Amino acid sequence: MAGPAPARARSSFARRHHLFWYFRHAVLLAWSGFVLFPIFWMVLTSFKDAAEWVTWPPHWIPHDPTLHNYRQIFTFSQLGQDLTRQATEQVFNIWGALMDSLLICTVSSFVSLLLGTFLAYSVSRFGVGGKNFRYLILTIRMVPPIVVAIPILMYYAIMIPHTTEVLTGVRVSFYDTYSGLGLLYVATTLPFVIWMMLSFIDEVPYTLEHAARMMGAGRIHTLRRVVVPLVASGMVVTFLFIFILNWSEFLLALTLTHPNVTTLPVLLNKFQSAVEGRLYGPQAAIGTVITIPVVVLGILIQKHLVKGFSFGMIRK
Amino acid sequence: MAEAQAPPAGRARTEAPAGAGWARRLSAWLGQERVFRLIPFILVEGTFLLLLAIPFVLTVYISLLKWRANRPFEQAYFEGLGNYVDVLTDPEFWWALGRTFYFAGVAVVLELLLGFFLAMLLYREFRGRRLYITIFLIPMMVVPVVVGYNFSMIYIDSGPLNEILAPLVRLVGGDPRIRWLSHPIAAQWAIILADVWQWTSLTFLIFLSGFSALPQPLISAARLMGASRWQIFWRVQLPLLKPVIVIAVVIRSMEALKIFDQSVLLTFGGPGNSTQTVAFYLWRQVWQFNKFSFGAAASVLLLLIFSVLIYFGIYLLVRERAMLHKEGA
Amino acid sequence: MAQIVLKDLVKKFGWITAVAGVNLRIHDGEFLIMVGPSGCGKTTTLNMISGLETPTSGEVVIGDTVVNDVDPGERGLGMVFQDLALFPHMTVFENIAFGLRVKRVAEEETRRRVRQVADVMRIGPLLEKRPSQCSGGEAQRVALARTIITNPAVFLMDEPLSSLDAKLRVDMRTELKHLHERLQATFVYVTHDQAEAMTMADRIVVMRGGHIQQVGEPLEIYRRPANQFVAGFFGTPTMNFLRGAVAKEGGRPLFRAQSLAQPLPAGSPLTGGGGEVVLGVRAEHVLVGEGSKRGQVTLTEPLGDETLVFFDFGGEAPLVAKVNPEMHLAPGDRIAFEFEESGFHLFDAATGERLN
Repeated sequence: MAGPAPARARSSFARRHHLFWYFRHAVLLAWSGFVLFPIFWMVLTSFKDAAEWVTWPPHWIPHDPTLHNYRQIFTFSQLGQDLTRQATEQVFNIWGALMDSLLICTVSSFVSLLLGTFLAYSVSRFGVGGKNFRYLILTIRMVPPIVVAIPILMYYAIMIPHTTEVLTGVRVSFYDTYSGLGLLYVATTLPFVIWMMLSFIDEVPYTLEHAARMMGAGRIHTLRRVVVPLVASGMVVTFLFIFILNWSEFLLALTLTHPNVTTLPVLLNKFQSAVEGRLYGPQAAIGTVITIPVVVLGILIQKHLVKGFSFGMIRK
Repeated sequence: MAEAQAPPAGRARTEAPAGAGWARRLSAWLGQERVFRLIPFILVEGTFLLLLAIPFVLTVYISLLKWRANRPFEQAYFEGLGNYVDVLTDPEFWWALGRTFYFAGVAVVLELLLGFFLAMLLYREFRGRRLYITIFLIPMMVVPVVVGYNFSMIYIDSGPLNEILAPLVRLVGGDPRIRWLSHPIAAQWAIILADVWQWTSLTFLIFLSGFSALPQPLISAARLMGASRWQIFWRVQLPLLKPVIVIAVVIRSMEALKIFDQSVLLTFGGPGNSTQTVAFYLWRQVWQFNKFSFGAAASVLLLLIFSVLIYFGIYLLVRERAMLHKEGA
Repeated sequence: MAQIVLKDLVKKFGWITAVAGVNLRIHDGEFLIMVGPSGCGKTTTLNMISGLETPTSGEVVIGDTVVNDVDPGERGLGMVFQDLALFPHMTVFENIAFGLRVKRVAEEETRRRVRQVADVMRIGPLLEKRPSQCSGGEAQRVALARTIITNPAVFLMDEPLSSLDAKLRVDMRTELKHLHERLQATFVYVTHDQAEAMTMADRIVVMRGGHIQQVGEPLEIYRRPANQFVAGFFGTPTMNFLRGAVAKEGGRPLFRAQSLAQPLPAGSPLTGGGGEVVLGVRAEHVLVGEGSKRGQVTLTEPLGDETLVFFDFGGEAPLVAKVNPEMHLAPGDRIAFEFEESGFHLFDAATGERLN
């Protein structure tokens, strides 16, 4: 009785378990493929020569891989002669947009981080803003940016120049300026900084600060030596997170800048719509340049994202 | 002074800059609790006020004028609520609004189901789990504009999508070189698909956190009482996950209603107006047609509509978070 | 001079009054323990002494200066927190040296003093480790070392032993007593554990609901609790309480409760006008084996050196007695019992105040 029965039970369980294992891996692999494919295709295209862009059937591996597209977008020259299609007079190169994006994203992320961390500290330790501050601050994020873009446009391009002209005789406009977009980026990322840094700061027990205070340390000293070292990694994660957000930001940049200030997403769009025959190669190259660093950054902080999410959203 | 005291590994040097009594006093004054708690608050609130509140008031004002941007501001005249009437009677507005809800609804449902399903498969340890998680989180970090562009590349008539589907299409006797983006319905689904591709990773992340936060003792207890896997799922895990699900729904829905980037990149609202989301519609009115007052009125209306949704969303969020707290997860 | 005087100290948080008028004089060099249930205001009072909380009204005087407006770091105090508050990102050495570094003490002297203190607390080998790498007892000593090194005249301690397991707690109690003797400093200690208070304190301050219930030496509090709360708070097992009335019968005061009649010593207060009284008798004053009263055993708890016997006597609640472990009783046994005359505590049933 004891002999045959357990053996039977074991094998059917093992079979079910195995089936499940196959099923699970099949699904996961399928989704992985779905996830990776568009990125793969883009990188692929960026190495394709013009002749291979729109072949049918499409080439899964370029027959004639080339760095030409990259060369094109990175040179300062005007359009090269080796283009076979008609194109606008736009300067092709990516440097301008790259620099603009880098500058605006880095500076505004930095400012946002500083400001937000300070406020997060105040909220955490002093309860500034009330019990539900952390939720209220998110409401700013919930407003559709387009609804913000229009007012800001009028503000930047009309009201401020008008006012400054009346007051000082000089027309100061924030439209299509670094500071204009940068300031706005600060405002839009602040809620995230506050939200994330709040959860990091909350993790630092306030008794540590009390202990430091009892030993004679002033508040600034305590912050510097006790609190900041403990939230430093949180600050890095937050910075990277909002950097990625700013880097990807499209709508506000589209509406409020160009041609003086051009961020990368805006540049990509310009190609999409401005160029008649679609220049898939260079576009793919630009896309790759925009995306890959961010994806790499993202992979680096993803462990923290998961943890941060658990603590920020689910746990605390 | 610093030298005489043999500074401990450079620390004293930063702490007592030579002859900087005023710095110390400033430090002490700043460190005062009253001052300290106010400064960032003022700065931040000031930023918001300047950058968001004032422009908004300005917009309301402009929405009451009649003004097209190609004429100078001075020529605008007071119109009253006429612009609002125009917006509300413009069928395009309502179509765009409805379409936005449709896109968002379908996309969010798909993302929730997929994200939940994937998280369920991945929350327990097994070989390769880390790798899968890393891969699955990638789409979140890809710049949305690029996503739009990528998918546009895939959808062209000589694109890889068609090649993959070619055998099926030929079987039915059709031409495999389908121009997906030229068909309104297909174009709409293209937008939805792009959104799903990108944002399932977020719902996945949320559910993954939710699953790993499930209190193990409860599940063990159920197991000991003889509950089957299925029963445990339906009666223990799902109810415990309800707050997480609500949070995911609220977060995702709020974002999904703002779909814009893909509309511009993939289809530019087309074919016709079939993929025109409300954000796109608004953008067009102002930037393409220069109907500033009209746009101003529309954005005020949109803000009102969204406010209701936001309020509701926040209410749900707070409530579910409170419930999570109570359970001591 | 490390004498601390609290004058009419009050602390309110919004509508809630945490500390409602505390007057206390803490003597130089004594080991004073504030004890009471959660929420009684002991920690808040301690925080007002340290300066981490500002009083709503009242004064804190250390030595002969009113220190209400003095920064916590300038009051010459040391504090040990419940969660130890060791800086996790610094080594043990840096943790201990923190107080000195803040005061810009020269590096060489800092090193010397840290080593010295580390030897005293027997944590020398730990100096380069992180707090997370230390055991509970070791971390405890690091926290103490960190406080000692600045030579404060007063040590404040907020339930420092509550995070330790039972055995370690007992060991640390002895260590703290030794430390107190060696340093000759004033120790102000807060706990909710009455056993801790009894074993370590020179004097005990019992608090409840923001008020001081009683101040006195441990034995005094044990033998003459000022009210019913204090009586029930101290002593394991809890004191037996019987509700009844005292009337003069046959020339002597007689306590009646349910089925019980107990003559009281002459001079015991009588309840007039329908007032009720609570008679308290500690378990060790309940004599089982002989006597005029009858009871039935419900439960016995052998502790090794003595046995606790719970029994019903026909009243509302069971009584508990401490008996010799040689006496073998089992649930269901009928026993005779008596109360020892010296162990009577009478409390007003309404106010809880001591009457005799």
